[in-house]
Amino acid sequence: MPTVIAIVEDDPDQRENYSDVLKSHGYDVRTYADRPSAEAGFARELPNLALLDIMLGEDMDGGFDLCMQLRNMSSTLPIIFLTARDSDADRISSQRMTAWDYITKPVSLEFLVARVHALLKISDQLQSAPTASTTVSVGALELNEDSMLVRWKGQPVSLTLTEFWIIESLTRNPGHVRTYDALSDVTRQGLVERNTINGYIRRIRHKFRELDERFDRIQTVHGTGYKWEQGSA
Amino acid sequence: MNASVDRASAQNSRQTTASRTSRPVRRGLKIRTKLLLLVSFLLVIPWMGYESVREMEKFLLEGQEQALELTTQGISSILGNRSDLFDPGVGVPELVGSSTGNPLKTLEEPLAIDAPAGVWAQAIGELSSFTGVGLYECGADYRPDLLAVRHAMALNADMLFAYFEIDDDRVVLRDPALLSLDSNDQIRLTIQRGSGELSRYLLTTQEPGRISVYLMKPNWREVVDGEALRDIAGTLDPGEDGYAVKIRIPREFLGTGARLKFEVVDVDDEASRAIRQIISTEPDPFRFEFGSVRLATPELAKLIQPLYVAEANITVWDAFFRVRAQVGSVFPPVREAFGRAPQKRSFLTQIEDRFLEFFDWILRSPQRGVKDMPVDSSREDRRLLSRVLAEGNSITERRRYGEAKLIVTASPIWAAGNIEGAVLVKQSANKLLSLQYRTLQRFTLLFLGVFIFLGIAILVFATRLTYRVGKLQRETEQAATAEGRLLKDRIRAGSRSSDELGSLTRSISALLQNLGQYTQYLEKLPDTLAHELHNPLNVVNSSLENLQYNHTELSEDKHLQRARNGVGRLRSIITSLTEAASLKEALTREQAQSETFDLALLVRNCVEGYQAAHPGYRIVQNFSEAPVLILGVPDRIAQMLDKLIDNAIQFGSENGLIIVNLRRDAEFIELSVLNDGPSLPDDIADRLFDPMVSSAKDARKTHLGLGLYIVRLVAESHRGTVRAENRRGARGVEVTVALPAEVRRRG
Repeated sequence: MPTVIAIVEDDPDQRENYSDVLKSHGYDVRTYADRPSAEAGFARELPNLALLDIMLGEDMDGGFDLCMQLRNMSSTLPIIFLTARDSDADRISSQRMTAWDYITKPVSLEFLVARVHALLKISDQLQSAPTASTTVSVGALELNEDSMLVRWKGQPVSLTLTEFWIIESLTRNPGHVRTYDALSDVTRQGLVERNTINGYIRRIRHKFRELDERFDRIQTVHGTGYKWEQGSA
Repeated sequence: MNASVDRASAQNSRQTTASRTSRPVRRGLKIRTKLLLLVSFLLVIPWMGYESVREMEKFLLEGQEQALELTTQGISSILGNRSDLFDPGVGVPELVGSSTGNPLKTLEEPLAIDAPAGVWAQAIGELSSFTGVGLYECGADYRPDLLAVRHAMALNADMLFAYFEIDDDRVVLRDPALLSLDSNDQIRLTIQRGSGELSRYLLTTQEPGRISVYLMKPNWREVVDGEALRDIAGTLDPGEDGYAVKIRIPREFLGTGARLKFEVVDVDDEASRAIRQIISTEPDPFRFEFGSVRLATPELAKLIQPLYVAEANITVWDAFFRVRAQVGSVFPPVREAFGRAPQKRSFLTQIEDRFLEFFDWILRSPQRGVKDMPVDSSREDRRLLSRVLAEGNSITERRRYGEAKLIVTASPIWAAGNIEGAVLVKQSANKLLSLQYRTLQRFTLLFLGVFIFLGIAILVFATRLTYRVGKLQRETEQAATAEGRLLKDRIRAGSRSSDELGSLTRSISALLQNLGQYTQYLEKLPDTLAHELHNPLNVVNSSLENLQYNHTELSEDKHLQRARNGVGRLRSIITSLTEAASLKEALTREQAQSETFDLALLVRNCVEGYQAAHPGYRIVQNFSEAPVLILGVPDRIAQMLDKLIDNAIQFGSENGLIIVNLRRDAEFIELSVLNDGPSLPDDIADRLFDPMVSSAKDARKTHLGLGLYIVRLVAESHRGTVRAENRRGARGVEVTVALPAEVRRRG
């Protein structure tokens, strides 16, 4: 049974470009230009993964609405927002809708395919029983690469794929500095500005601090990058 | 091409930092000064008033002159052809004395001949002085201390009293042993009676006391009759400097139309007893043999009495310069009123008096002039009369005595083809002037009031206007920064007032609002633009990738590579656009996340990172190890330093040296980055920290000029300032961020 990927994008050129590259990687692709057609399509057949634009023509938040409907249909369906909107508010909204990833345009198709692969894999893992063997512990932090699951002091931290990759990269060598260039590679988005990395780190810290006000493990090494400080506690 | 023009204008604009584009302001006056100057033009009004009052004065004086002339002519024609009035035989010698002197005093009580000289002197009034200066009898060696005479006469109902005070260094009285009467100090009296007959009387004595009077022959040596006369009585009182003589003559004895002449004869040498000097009461004995009696004609006086003119003196003279009648005085009736009785005054009234005096002085009060009016002006009168009597025409003249003005007009009196006499009318012009003065005074007070009121009103108005304009100016200046960024979107002060200034305020408010909206639109523009560009860029990017994926043989194709490079550049442009656009918002949001941290440590770490990232350059720090604590958002400070280094590298010389400095003093922490690149271009030096301003010319690199703009935004969000200047003494540019050093509050 082929893996079905739904693409909801109002711009036909972009839609077809995504479709082409995913098809050439062997996925079965369904494309929709607007919310009503997408809703109808989802009702007929639930995809294995959904790529959503937030703005669908005149429908400013059409992507968010679709995301909510999909989440109601399946709790483990990977949803990727692929949008030109780069505001913190949009990112927070997408997180609230429990989207798994948030990519800003322009996106590198190569990295898009990589992300799709990764998310489908995680989705598979979540549907079968999670194996404890892949869980890594770094102090109070638990990290399961297969299921993209992160726990801080036992509590789950809800991260996007990019954020997960950044945490994973930082904790691989605790106490060692990850340079901006290294972190840029990890985000798998092509060329990434320092400020974008700073933005990811800022949001990650925020998420941890919502659980633990005194979280201070991620430290800035100004001019260079970040490091995960292995605390005594 | 027109770089020189740009440079010139840039230099120009640097001179006036406040308004970069405006030309130098012309020097000039402020509104208030202008208005006050305008008010001072009102001062022309009192000048005009003064001039017109002067003109009026001239006109009025002429009128007065004419009126007086008419009066005079009227009087003279009334008196014309009335020879009887000028008949020398008519009338009694009511007035005796110098024709030039005052009218004789009339005494109520007769003076006793034996009364002391002091009593006489007091009763008889002011004495006229007679000296021998220039007299033939007294000679060239005359000295007033040897002989001087003071003399006056008075009348009562039937007696004429004559009083003499004679200064004489040596009194020589009559020697009883000698027979002659004239070899001693004596007084000679000549009487010309109405009939023209002359009688000579010698008054002499052997000792102080009663004087003997003898009728003499014309040679003054022989007596007509040896008997002393009883009619004329006289006494001699010795005094300190000489002696006093009192003489009493019955008026009956003189008759009507008589004239008198006294001569004081001085003998000093008791041995030779020669006559040394003679002083006569008639100073001009050759021309007027006997001048000492003024004959008033009662009928004449009655005639002119009704012609009384206020403050005028009318005199009727006969052809022999004798006053026949007079009426009125040139002095105002209550001259005393002008003199203030000295009394205790409060300080305030004293000031008031001073002010009034000053006022009088400024306006030339005619009351002052009255004081200058001479009591005796007979010399001028006589000069005028002689002309009138000689020429037979009316003559009018104006005289000035200091501040006093006198109009004098004289007109001849004709009788049967001969000039019988003349009428002389004198009138003070000061009365007229005092009327004019009052007008001037009223006018001046009124004007002064109006002027002060107007001045104050305009001063208040101008001050208020200036204040409002100043406030508007201040608010307008505060509405935008020197770089032209808007800080507020309306002007509050005075926007509700209905006048032009209020409407100007509203216009500026509206302008600011429109400008604010436009600025907002402009500020959002990069963000909107970036957002709109993302989608087509994504199309191009994804299409290129698909092309490469489907045609792997093309992956090394140079055109595809160039296309991808172009996409990359577009992408970085859009990224920096959104970075700058979202930064402002983010900075305000992050204000709360400020923390105290060691800036020196942060800069050191960053510099290490930069050195690693740019191995081709030498990036060095040049400051001590001591921690520099500062309150701020470390991420943003690092971001700012990123941009400073990027800028230094971009505009520095290739593989050059970049120095990072950190200084701190009491007020500021200064972080500066120096490179060794070319100097700042003049034309953009002022706007270097504005968005989209860059001096880069390399077309293959993207230079949006947002780097230093971000530096400025971060610096300003930390209440700091930023400046760029050419390095002194070395090639290169130094960009400095100054942040306030007050950190310890929280630290």
